[in-house]
Amino acid sequence: MLPVQLIVALVAGIAIMALLFAGARSLGAQTVGRIVLLVGLLGLPLLLSVGNISFGVHESSTTHFCLSCHEMKRHGMSLFVDNRQALAAVHYQNRLVDRETVCYSCHKDYALFGDVTAKLNGLRHVWAHYIAGVPEKITLYKPYPNSNCLHCHDDMRRFVEGPAHRPLMDALYAGTTSCLSCHRIAHDMAKVDAGQLWQAH
Amino acid sequence: MADSSDERTTRRIRRAAVVGGLGLAVQLAAALHWTPMTFIISAAVGAPLVIVGGVMFLAAVWRNMRDKGAV
Repeated sequence: MLPVQLIVALVAGIAIMALLFAGARSLGAQTVGRIVLLVGLLGLPLLLSVGNISFGVHESSTTHFCLSCHEMKRHGMSLFVDNRQALAAVHYQNRLVDRETVCYSCHKDYALFGDVTAKLNGLRHVWAHYIAGVPEKITLYKPYPNSNCLHCHDDMRRFVEGPAHRPLMDALYAGTTSCLSCHRIAHDMAKVDAGQLWQAH
Repeated sequence: MADSSDERTTRRIRRAAVVGGLGLAVQLAAALHWTPMTFIISAAVGAPLVIVGGVMFLAAVWRNMRDKGAV
Protein backbone atom coordinates (compact mmCIF):
# COMPACT_ATOMS: atom_id res chain seq x y z
CA MET A 1 0.00 0.00 0.00
CA LEU A 2 1.29 3.44 -0.88
CA PRO A 3 2.20 5.75 2.02
CA VAL A 4 -0.26 8.41 0.88
CA GLN A 5 0.34 10.92 3.67
CA LEU A 6 4.09 10.73 3.14
CA ILE A 7 3.72 11.18 -0.62
CA VAL A 8 1.41 14.18 -0.20
CA ALA A 9 3.82 15.76 2.28
CA LEU A 10 6.80 15.24 -0.03
CA VAL A 11 4.93 16.63 -3.04
CA ALA A 12 3.90 19.67 -0.99
CA GLY A 13 7.50 20.09 0.18
CA ILE A 14 8.84 20.01 -3.38
CA ALA A 15 6.16 22.49 -4.48
CA ILE A 16 7.06 24.86 -1.64
CA MET A 17 10.74 24.62 -2.52
CA ALA A 18 9.93 25.39 -6.17
CA LEU A 19 8.02 28.48 -5.06
CA LEU A 20 10.92 29.56 -2.85
CA PHE A 21 13.28 29.01 -5.79
CA ALA A 22 11.17 31.35 -7.92
CA GLY A 23 10.76 33.95 -5.19
CA ALA A 24 14.27 33.77 -3.72
CA ARG A 25 15.23 37.27 -4.87
CA SER A 26 12.24 39.13 -3.46
CA LEU A 27 12.09 37.03 -0.28
CA GLY A 28 15.78 37.64 0.38
CA ALA A 29 15.17 41.38 0.36
CA GLN A 30 12.89 41.38 3.44
CA THR A 31 13.34 40.16 7.00
CA VAL A 32 10.16 38.04 7.01
CA GLY A 33 11.11 36.65 3.60
CA ARG A 34 14.48 35.52 4.93
CA ILE A 35 12.74 33.67 7.76
CA VAL A 36 10.45 32.04 5.19
CA LEU A 37 13.52 30.96 3.21
CA LEU A 38 15.15 29.58 6.35
CA VAL A 39 12.10 27.54 7.28
CA GLY A 40 11.30 26.48 3.72
CA LEU A 41 14.79 25.55 2.57
CA LEU A 42 16.21 24.20 5.81
CA GLY A 43 13.57 23.25 8.39
CA LEU A 44 10.88 21.84 6.11
CA PRO A 45 13.04 19.48 4.00
CA LEU A 46 14.87 18.23 7.08
CA LEU A 47 11.58 17.56 8.83
CA LEU A 48 10.23 15.72 5.78
CA SER A 49 13.40 13.63 5.54
CA VAL A 50 13.21 12.66 9.20
CA GLY A 51 9.55 11.70 8.70
CA ASN A 52 10.41 9.70 5.59
CA ILE A 53 13.25 7.77 7.24
CA SER A 54 11.16 7.21 10.36
CA PHE A 55 8.38 5.76 8.19
CA GLY A 56 10.91 3.59 6.36
CA VAL A 57 12.43 2.22 9.55
CA HIS A 58 8.97 1.39 10.86
CA GLU A 59 7.96 -0.16 7.54
CA SER A 60 11.12 -2.29 7.46
CA SER A 61 9.86 -4.14 10.55
CA THR A 62 6.70 -5.36 8.84
CA THR A 63 6.07 -8.89 7.64
CA HIS A 64 5.28 -7.87 4.08
CA PHE A 65 8.56 -5.91 3.90
CA CYS A 66 10.58 -9.00 4.95
CA LEU A 67 8.68 -11.18 2.51
CA SER A 68 9.03 -8.70 -0.37
CA CYS A 69 12.29 -10.45 -1.34
CA HIS A 70 11.49 -13.65 -3.22
CA GLU A 71 14.15 -15.56 -1.24
CA MET A 72 11.89 -15.25 1.79
CA LYS A 73 8.73 -16.53 0.13
CA ARG A 74 9.13 -20.09 1.44
CA HIS A 75 9.74 -18.78 4.94
CA GLY A 76 6.59 -16.71 4.55
CA MET A 77 4.66 -19.81 3.46
CA SER A 78 5.95 -21.63 6.54
CA LEU A 79 3.69 -19.38 8.63
CA PHE A 80 0.74 -21.27 7.15
CA VAL A 81 1.90 -24.88 7.37
CA ASP A 82 -0.36 -27.42 9.04
CA ASN A 83 2.02 -28.35 11.85
CA ARG A 84 1.26 -27.55 15.48
CA GLN A 85 4.91 -28.13 16.39
CA ALA A 86 6.41 -25.67 13.94
CA LEU A 87 7.24 -22.53 15.90
CA ALA A 88 6.68 -19.95 13.16
CA ALA A 89 3.32 -21.47 12.23
CA VAL A 90 2.12 -21.81 15.84
CA HIS A 91 3.03 -18.23 16.70
CA TYR A 92 1.47 -16.82 13.54
CA GLN A 93 -1.68 -18.92 13.36
CA ASN A 94 -2.51 -18.54 17.07
CA ARG A 95 -1.73 -14.82 16.99
CA LEU A 96 0.90 -15.21 19.71
CA VAL A 97 2.70 -12.32 18.02
CA ASP A 98 1.40 -9.42 15.96
CA ARG A 99 0.93 -10.78 12.44
CA GLU A 100 2.02 -7.44 10.97
CA THR A 101 5.49 -7.83 12.48
CA VAL A 102 5.80 -11.58 12.90
CA CYS A 103 9.32 -11.95 11.40
CA TYR A 104 10.67 -9.03 13.36
CA SER A 105 9.10 -10.15 16.65
CA CYS A 106 11.11 -13.38 16.70
CA HIS A 107 14.22 -12.40 14.72
CA LYS A 108 15.28 -9.27 16.52
CA ASP A 109 17.21 -9.39 19.76
CA TYR A 110 15.57 -7.73 22.74
CA ALA A 111 18.85 -6.35 24.03
CA LEU A 112 19.79 -2.65 24.18
CA PHE A 113 20.90 -2.50 20.55
CA GLY A 114 18.59 -5.22 19.26
CA ASP A 115 16.74 -2.91 16.89
CA VAL A 116 19.95 -1.40 15.51
CA THR A 117 21.50 -4.84 15.00
CA ALA A 118 18.36 -6.05 13.23
CA LYS A 119 18.40 -3.05 10.88
CA LEU A 120 22.11 -3.51 10.15
CA ASN A 121 21.45 -7.17 9.39
CA GLY A 122 18.68 -5.97 7.09
CA LEU A 123 21.28 -3.95 5.18
CA ARG A 124 23.35 -7.13 4.83
CA HIS A 125 20.28 -8.88 3.44
CA VAL A 126 19.80 -6.14 0.85
CA TRP A 127 23.50 -6.36 -0.04
CA ALA A 128 23.16 -10.12 -0.49
CA HIS A 129 19.94 -9.77 -2.49
CA TYR A 130 21.21 -7.17 -4.96
CA ILE A 131 25.01 -7.47 -4.99
CA ALA A 132 26.73 -10.45 -3.34
CA GLY A 133 24.12 -13.09 -4.06
CA VAL A 134 21.95 -15.07 -1.68
CA PRO A 135 23.50 -18.21 -0.15
CA GLU A 136 21.92 -21.47 -1.27
CA LYS A 137 20.85 -22.29 2.28
CA ILE A 138 19.56 -19.40 4.34
CA THR A 139 20.78 -19.66 7.93
CA LEU A 140 20.86 -17.46 11.00
CA TYR A 141 23.94 -15.32 11.66
CA LYS A 142 24.28 -16.90 15.11
CA PRO A 143 22.52 -19.61 17.11
CA TYR A 144 19.01 -18.55 18.04
CA PRO A 145 19.21 -16.97 21.52
CA ASN A 146 16.91 -18.23 24.29
CA SER A 147 16.50 -14.65 25.44
CA ASN A 148 14.32 -13.97 22.39
CA CYS A 149 11.93 -16.74 23.46
CA LEU A 150 12.11 -15.76 27.12
CA HIS A 151 11.28 -12.15 26.30
CA CYS A 152 7.66 -13.31 26.03
CA HIS A 153 7.61 -16.78 27.63
CA ASP A 154 9.56 -15.76 30.72
CA ASP A 155 6.57 -15.44 33.05
CA MET A 156 4.00 -17.41 31.05
CA ARG A 157 2.21 -19.85 33.31
CA ARG A 158 2.33 -22.66 30.77
CA PHE A 159 6.08 -22.21 30.45
CA VAL A 160 6.87 -21.77 34.14
CA GLU A 161 4.72 -24.72 35.26
CA GLY A 162 5.53 -26.96 32.32
CA PRO A 163 6.95 -30.23 33.70
CA ALA A 164 9.47 -30.44 30.87
CA HIS A 165 10.73 -26.92 31.56
CA ARG A 166 11.15 -27.08 35.33
CA PRO A 167 14.35 -29.14 35.50
CA LEU A 168 15.86 -27.04 32.71
CA MET A 169 15.07 -23.55 33.94
CA ASP A 170 18.60 -22.61 34.98
CA ALA A 171 20.11 -23.97 31.78
CA LEU A 172 17.49 -22.20 29.67
CA TYR A 173 18.13 -18.87 31.37
CA ALA A 174 21.89 -19.36 31.16
CA GLY A 175 21.57 -20.24 27.49
CA THR A 176 23.49 -23.48 27.92
CA THR A 177 20.49 -25.46 26.69
CA SER A 178 18.73 -24.08 23.66
CA CYS A 179 14.94 -23.91 23.52
CA LEU A 180 15.35 -25.29 20.01
CA SER A 181 16.96 -28.46 21.30
CA CYS A 182 13.40 -29.63 22.13
CA HIS A 183 11.34 -27.31 19.94
CA ARG A 184 13.29 -28.37 16.90
CA ILE A 185 11.15 -27.13 14.03
CA ALA A 186 11.19 -23.38 13.56
CA HIS A 187 10.06 -23.23 9.93
CA ASP A 188 8.63 -26.47 8.52
CA MET A 189 10.02 -26.27 5.01
CA ALA A 190 9.19 -29.89 4.22
CA LYS A 191 5.49 -29.16 4.59
CA VAL A 192 5.87 -25.94 2.65
CA ASP A 193 7.33 -27.92 -0.24
CA ALA A 194 4.62 -30.55 0.13
CA GLY A 195 1.95 -27.84 0.12
CA GLN A 196 0.46 -28.96 3.45
CA LEU A 197 -0.93 -25.65 4.58
CA TRP A 198 -3.49 -24.74 7.20
CA GLN A 199 -6.50 -22.96 5.81
CA ALA A 200 -8.23 -20.37 7.95
CA HIS A 201 -12.02 -20.41 7.50
CA MET B 1 18.49 47.59 -7.85
CA ALA B 2 20.15 44.80 -5.91
CA ASP B 3 23.94 44.84 -5.76
CA SER B 4 26.05 42.01 -7.16
CA SER B 5 26.51 40.49 -3.69
CA ASP B 6 22.73 40.01 -3.38
CA GLU B 7 22.61 38.55 -6.88
CA ARG B 8 25.27 36.03 -5.96
CA THR B 9 23.42 35.17 -2.77
CA THR B 10 20.19 34.65 -4.71
CA ARG B 11 21.98 32.31 -7.11
CA ARG B 12 23.48 30.36 -4.22
CA ILE B 13 20.13 30.08 -2.46
CA ARG B 14 18.55 28.82 -5.67
CA ARG B 15 21.29 26.23 -6.05
CA ALA B 16 20.62 25.11 -2.46
CA ALA B 17 16.90 24.89 -3.25
CA VAL B 18 17.62 22.73 -6.32
CA VAL B 19 19.84 20.33 -4.37
CA GLY B 20 17.39 20.09 -1.45
CA GLY B 21 14.46 19.70 -3.85
CA LEU B 22 16.33 16.95 -5.66
CA GLY B 23 16.76 15.17 -2.32
CA LEU B 24 13.02 15.37 -1.68
CA ALA B 25 12.34 14.17 -5.23
CA VAL B 26 14.52 11.09 -4.66
CA GLN B 27 12.62 10.38 -1.45
CA LEU B 28 9.30 10.87 -3.25
CA ALA B 29 10.32 8.44 -6.02
CA ALA B 30 11.27 5.89 -3.35
CA ALA B 31 7.98 6.37 -1.51
CA LEU B 32 6.04 5.75 -4.74
CA HIS B 33 7.69 2.36 -5.15
CA TRP B 34 8.53 1.17 -1.66
CA THR B 35 11.04 -1.72 -1.62
CA PRO B 36 14.10 -2.47 0.56
CA MET B 37 16.37 -1.03 -2.15
CA THR B 38 14.39 2.17 -2.69
CA PHE B 39 14.31 2.73 1.07
CA ILE B 40 18.09 2.53 1.19
CA ILE B 41 18.41 4.87 -1.81
CA SER B 42 16.00 7.24 -0.09
CA ALA B 43 18.03 7.23 3.13
CA ALA B 44 21.50 7.12 1.56
CA VAL B 45 20.97 9.54 -1.34
CA GLY B 46 17.78 11.55 -0.77
CA ALA B 47 18.35 12.52 2.86
CA PRO B 48 22.04 13.49 2.38
CA LEU B 49 21.06 15.67 -0.60
CA VAL B 50 18.60 17.49 1.65
CA ILE B 51 21.34 18.00 4.24
CA VAL B 52 23.76 19.25 1.55
CA GLY B 53 21.06 21.66 0.32
CA GLY B 54 20.59 22.96 3.86
CA VAL B 55 24.33 23.44 4.34
CA MET B 56 24.56 25.26 1.00
CA PHE B 57 21.74 27.55 2.10
CA LEU B 58 23.43 28.33 5.42
CA ALA B 59 26.74 28.92 3.62
CA ALA B 60 25.02 31.35 1.22
CA VAL B 61 23.54 33.29 4.14
CA TRP B 62 26.87 33.30 5.98
CA ARG B 63 28.75 34.61 2.93
CA ASN B 64 26.14 37.30 2.36
CA MET B 65 26.43 38.43 5.97
CA ARG B 66 30.23 38.42 5.73
CA ASP B 67 30.18 40.42 2.48
CA LYS B 68 28.02 43.02 4.16
CA GLY B 69 30.22 43.16 7.25
CA ALA B 70 27.47 41.83 9.51
CA VAL B 71 29.77 39.19 10.98
